[in-house]
Amino acid sequence: MPTPRLLVLFGSQTGTAQDVSERLGREARRRRLGCLVQALDSYPVVNLINEPLVIFVCATTGQGDPPDNMKNFWRFIFRKNLPSTSLCQMDFAVLGLGDSSYAKFNFVAKKLHRRLLQLGGSALLPMCLGDDQHELGPDAAIDPWLHDLWKKVLDLHPVPLDLGIIPTGIPLPSKFTLQFLEEAPVTHSEEQHVARMDPQDPPSELHPFLAPMVSNQRVTGPLHFQDVRLIEFDITGSGLSFTAGDVVLIQPKNIAPHVQQFCQLLGLDPDQCFTLQPREPGVPCPVQLPQPCSVRRLVSQYLDITSVPRRSFFELLACLSPHKLEREKLLEFSSAQGQEELCEYCSRPRRTVLEVLCDFPHTAGAIPPDYLLDLVPLIRPRAFSIASSLLAHPSRLQILVAVVQYQTRLKEPRRGLCSSWLASLDPGQGPVRVPLWVRPGSLTFPETPDTPVIMVGPGTGVAPFRATVQERVAQGQTRNFLFFGCRQRDQDFYWEPEWKELEKRGCLTLVTAFSREQEQKVYVQHRLRELGPLVWELLDHQGAYFYLAGNAKYMPVDVSEALMSIFQEEGGLSSPDAAAYLARLQRTLRFQTETWA
Amino acid sequence: MADFGISVGQFVAVIWDKSCPAEALKDLVDKLQALTGDEGHVSMENINQLLQSAHKESSFDIVLSGVIPGSSIVHSAEILAEVARILRPGGCLFLKEPVETAVVNNSKVRTASKLCSALTLSGLVEVKELQRESLSPEEMQSVQEHLGYHSDSLLSVQITGKKPNFEVGSSSQLKLSIAKKSSPSGKPAVDPAAAKLWTLSANDMEDDSVELIDSDDLLDPEDLKKPDPASLRAASCGEGKKRTACRNCTCGLAEELEKEKSRGQMSSQPKSACGNCYLGDAFRCASCPYLGMPAFKPGEKVLLSDSNLNDA
Repeated sequence: MPTPRLLVLFGSQTGTAQDVSERLGREARRRRLGCLVQALDSYPVVNLINEPLVIFVCATTGQGDPPDNMKNFWRFIFRKNLPSTSLCQMDFAVLGLGDSSYAKFNFVAKKLHRRLLQLGGSALLPMCLGDDQHELGPDAAIDPWLHDLWKKVLDLHPVPLDLGIIPTGIPLPSKFTLQFLEEAPVTHSEEQHVARMDPQDPPSELHPFLAPMVSNQRVTGPLHFQDVRLIEFDITGSGLSFTAGDVVLIQPKNIAPHVQQFCQLLGLDPDQCFTLQPREPGVPCPVQLPQPCSVRRLVSQYLDITSVPRRSFFELLACLSPHKLEREKLLEFSSAQGQEELCEYCSRPRRTVLEVLCDFPHTAGAIPPDYLLDLVPLIRPRAFSIASSLLAHPSRLQILVAVVQYQTRLKEPRRGLCSSWLASLDPGQGPVRVPLWVRPGSLTFPETPDTPVIMVGPGTGVAPFRATVQERVAQGQTRNFLFFGCRQRDQDFYWEPEWKELEKRGCLTLVTAFSREQEQKVYVQHRLRELGPLVWELLDHQGAYFYLAGNAKYMPVDVSEALMSIFQEEGGLSSPDAAAYLARLQRTLRFQTETWA
Repeated sequence: MADFGISVGQFVAVIWDKSCPAEALKDLVDKLQALTGDEGHVSMENINQLLQSAHKESSFDIVLSGVIPGSSIVHSAEILAEVARILRPGGCLFLKEPVETAVVNNSKVRTASKLCSALTLSGLVEVKELQRESLSPEEMQSVQEHLGYHSDSLLSVQITGKKPNFEVGSSSQLKLSIAKKSSPSGKPAVDPAAAKLWTLSANDMEDDSVELIDSDDLLDPEDLKKPDPASLRAASCGEGKKRTACRNCTCGLAEELEKEKSRGQMSSQPKSACGNCYLGDAFRCASCPYLGMPAFKPGEKVLLSDSNLNDA
């Protein structure tokens, strides 16, 4: 009798949904079920009508949006022409990951669940709504839900009596095997990358462009609390092309001391080379990994050893631990009862994989290399809004990067992997190359010339608008209104001379809000309200487009509220009418946002 | 009036549109109400409102559409699917529609066989043509007026279809799948027409011009509610971290715990075996002075590196 199969399809932005999906996969295998775990956009959706058992694990990101690796699926599943009996074969369950401090909490999971019912699917149980705001994170909702899920699934597919469930202390076979090579292969430069299939293809995640860094300047005052850099890359000959609003993705690396420390802890020789083989047929290797590969390269470019490990890390480590004391502790951290302890030890202080391994040296030294890719997640690229226009700076790409550094109760400060790595690179010391590629942004600009454009971009949010203004000015569009907010004009007023010049030329109206220059805080939304009549005139009488970029948490809500009060005061609209007016602007793409966490 | 087999206590829906003469419609409804009596019910539905009305599925025994003399209704695929949905299993549809007998390429009036297959595609079974008759001059005029179509080869055909006796896949939010002991799961086979539509659509993922439903319509006000803040705290919050003492504890916690234990207040022994403070945060007690610092070798002098000295 063929093994029954569970299909787990996920949409993951930061890797959490993917981690939960892989946990589901492991729990399925422990119950002797076949399991396939795949990103939604990697799955051939044409087969969905024949799938009997599917779990959807979907995060909600941005402003109630689906993650990047399920965007195609999202556009497909809401097509009007899909018949309402399509999924009559399917028993499904939906697990959502979100943050209830946002208004559109878990909207992706909620909408998906309803839509699957509309298309004829049967829900095994109500959806799970994982919440970052819970003290114990999404696991607080996920653990009890999984308990119920397995009850339902095992009703349909009971564990074969002769086999039984594989208990949690026993490790499952690793996803891959590492075959170490006896001799180092013919030396290849560290810069070698997988040859492009077709040189005509633009750079992508599989084949990034190694862009030479031209300059890396700090643009905040020396006394300012934050180090913000304006970084310029030379993209001559890359085939890269972009317009205002587009986004550059950068693949960061671990710093050498961390790589060395990791190899020492695990007893690995950094110079040794290996090839990677999947254990099960049909499981793809991480495509970016060259074969053969050196340990040093694996640890520095692929293993995210400065990430904060999740519960699954401790579960696997417990299985692999030969040391009584350490194993006990690791089992405690993996258990449902130990989650608070784990939160206190690891999640709250943002302790990294590397730091945890230092605390468990006997276990670290016993980790079989085969399990490295099961244990440590892969480094994810980071996205930055492109801050320059090709029309103003041909063959160049500029970004504005705020270096992330903060303190928790750990003595060693927490640092952003990508921003710290970029900040450490000095093109003055020698050639520096950074792997990057471009993806289209979500902002679209008006096609009719002379349409005024209002941009609100406090802090580093101004980056995509600097590109926008450069591009529009080069095209002769001078009706540009920029609302910029920062703390102090002499500390973090990015591009001040450039804006002043454009104002003189009549290409820009700049409105500034310096939050810390007076007793009370003054933000961009206050300036918007002060200029209510102008904003109303532009939006209602001149068909202006309104854009907002920057921090996702509070600023979009504050600015939207300011707009709605302008609609009421200047336009005489009632409160519900003002909300409807804003919704209409959104639907017609005349109110757009690009925000980041 | 044709015999639709209506009996007492049944729920009947009569679908009409502006082509139906009002007198005849009222006449029919009155006759039907006499047949169904008080326990049954006759509903009138304007065809253009049918989809918005979103009747509960499987709520009607009989649906009549276009049967009023003088009407000229053309039933779309969406309407037929909706009728199939609101019929109870075993329920019947009787419809009358003008059909074209000549082989003519037009989008307004289809042939009788196309009409029959349209009923089949919407999920009805036992689709039968009951009778055909030619159109009266008034009916021809009605077709011209309401459908904007004129032809000499039109007929009026009466067709019946039945909803199959099993549920073809529910779209109710309250239904959960029933655990089945036997395999396979006893689910209905995929309707080949539905499968074809799905496959066609899936093979054309790039097509951005395909119309989408507004996903916001799927949500109701319940979905916008925020969770109660009390539900977001961990179960044992406020008690603080477990107080365990290191084996060679020098900070006095061990004595304190011993005292409490002898007083009978502290019930449990420290659960986890805790080593010395050099082992790292994972093994340190809550009052350990080395909390936040990495593990070190026992007896090793802990040196603060430059990076530790520069606190942000």
